[in-house]
Amino acid sequence: MTMNVTNHRVPEQGVSRAAGVDDPASSQRSEPDAAPALPTATKPGAIRRIVSTRAFIAVRSFAAFLALWYLLAAWVGNPIQLPSPLRVAAALISLGADGELFDHALISTTRLAISLVVAVLLAVPLGFFMGLSPKANAYLDPVVELLRPISGIAWIPLGLFIFGVGDVLPVFIMVYVAFFPLLLNTIAGVRHVDGKLVNAARTMGVGRRAMLRHVIVPAALPTVMVGFRLAFAGAWAAIIAAELIGSPSGLGFAIEWYRQLLMTPKVYGFIVVIGIVGYLCDLALRALQRWLTPWAEGMELA
Amino acid sequence: MNQETAMSKLRLRNVAKHFIAPRTGQLTTAVTDVNLDIETGEFVCIVGPSGCGKSTVLNLIAGLDTPTSGTIEANGAPIVAPGADRGVMFQDYALMPWMSVHDNIGFGLNYGTPGEGLTREQREKRIRHFVDLVRLNGSEKKYPHQLSGGMRQRVALARLLANGPDILLMDEPLGALDSQTRLILQVELLRIWGETAPREQRKTAIFITHDIEEAVFLGDRVVVMSTHPGRVKAIIPVDLPRPRSEHIRADPRFGQLSDEIWDLIRDEAYRAIDGTEAPAGPKATAVEKVE
Ligand SMILES: Nc1ncnc2c1ncn2[C@@H]1O[C@H](COP(=O)(O)OP(=O)(O)O)[C@@H](O)[C@H]1O
Ligand SMILES: [Mg+2]
Repeated sequence: MTMNVTNHRVPEQGVSRAAGVDDPASSQRSEPDAAPALPTATKPGAIRRIVSTRAFIAVRSFAAFLALWYLLAAWVGNPIQLPSPLRVAAALISLGADGELFDHALISTTRLAISLVVAVLLAVPLGFFMGLSPKANAYLDPVVELLRPISGIAWIPLGLFIFGVGDVLPVFIMVYVAFFPLLLNTIAGVRHVDGKLVNAARTMGVGRRAMLRHVIVPAALPTVMVGFRLAFAGAWAAIIAAELIGSPSGLGFAIEWYRQLLMTPKVYGFIVVIGIVGYLCDLALRALQRWLTPWAEGMELA
Repeated sequence: MNQETAMSKLRLRNVAKHFIAPRTGQLTTAVTDVNLDIETGEFVCIVGPSGCGKSTVLNLIAGLDTPTSGTIEANGAPIVAPGADRGVMFQDYALMPWMSVHDNIGFGLNYGTPGEGLTREQREKRIRHFVDLVRLNGSEKKYPHQLSGGMRQRVALARLLANGPDILLMDEPLGALDSQTRLILQVELLRIWGETAPREQRKTAIFITHDIEEAVFLGDRVVVMSTHPGRVKAIIPVDLPRPRSEHIRADPRFGQLSDEIWDLIRDEAYRAIDGTEAPAGPKATAVEKVE
């Protein structure tokens, strides 16, 4: 997207690239500039730069969302069905004040972390094995393809019967859900290692172990990380379902608990927390990805 | 060169390589009837139109692939696998994208056979030496994706040399450089190869290029290949004195040799251009480049 310098009042130096030309708010604040000039330290420039940052745009779109919610709640007029954002905020504050919110969030994220670790330990080595050995792949792939389309949620009733209510059921469901994206991305990562790099290593007399450790593993890592983020997304969606039914604690449990008590603002409060925790975890995973595979910037989830 | 000594550094006898496409089962003759003897310390350039099998020959010598028929020997022993005695500089560099310039140059030293028996300090010293040699000081910590094409080529060259191979196999190593940098690196390459040293102390080099003048400037001999099927069309000895400098391009003999080689490949070069623009002729339809 390039900005039309001649027809619009455009901030200098393309500061509001993200906002774009279709953002009247930011372009009205700018003086008419004939040509893009060097960035100056003048005040209007600085304000414009802040106004058009991604964070500021996010704040504005979020404010619009809250306003819509507020209007919709007023229109519905039934706080048991749809409380206003103010009530939900009040519920969140009281849940935060007595620590309940953090207790449940901590329980859920701990289960998530354990599940992801277990899933990585199971799926990644198996993925390397299947990616490197066509024979192993031929044997195991049919089973994987058969299990993969079965939603993790389908196993909850059975899991309830086997594991009962507790920590094991949500962890089991999450490991199951996280397993497949990790496995399939690891296999794909190993298979698509650039043959040129393997050949280059061979011409330098690199042995089998060093080849695995210093060529195959790092070359496959970006794809494995993509699988890891998909695994997280799936697991975080599944944990709520698992905790709704099969757990005496956690965010999913809390939602169901307050629903039964008809304390809808708290139900919404926990839903908000699920969103926020999920968002923060994804940010952390992106940071991990950038740190582990800085060369693979731009390789993103579809 | 007039007396055939008992043992060549590299000896290719009736080498042919066919490829079979996995899906269609269609057979491609990449090269056939390749006979070539290369002496120790010789600098041999290979030129020829795209798809004539230059890279294939290089891969066979590297041991990355085996010939369908014929034999390839290095120091009198058949080549069965890759080895660090034959260093390769690949057409698209094949640098490890997760490694810095420093670590890429040290890859063979740290993880392969060239580093065997060397202490950590010795390896570090060697890496630094080759960083200096290709003038990448200050860029050691950068990753390949942060480098220009020319810098990547210099990293690949430094990695090749740091492994101390006996035989240098280079596949269009200077292809991505602007012409000035290219001229400078050509001279530098000759220096590194050992132009000023006595012949037996020089490395043995095979250098693929699509630039005829580059081939004449660098080579002791120029192997001209032709396509469909890929084969050796002619081997032209380059009787220009060494050490060579930029001025040798003004030598009338330089122009004569370049013309001679151009005459050998002109027809095919034109045909290749026609083929890409309008696949009309019966030959042109068969020209399918897979690179
Ligand atoms: N791995 C391969 N599989 C099938 N055909 C190949 C393969 N490698 C090379 N070829 C074919 O062999 C011929 C020579 O290729 P190549 O050696 O790369 O030529 P050059 O390096 O001279 O451009 C081409 O026709 C190419 O299509
Ligand atoms: Mg080639």
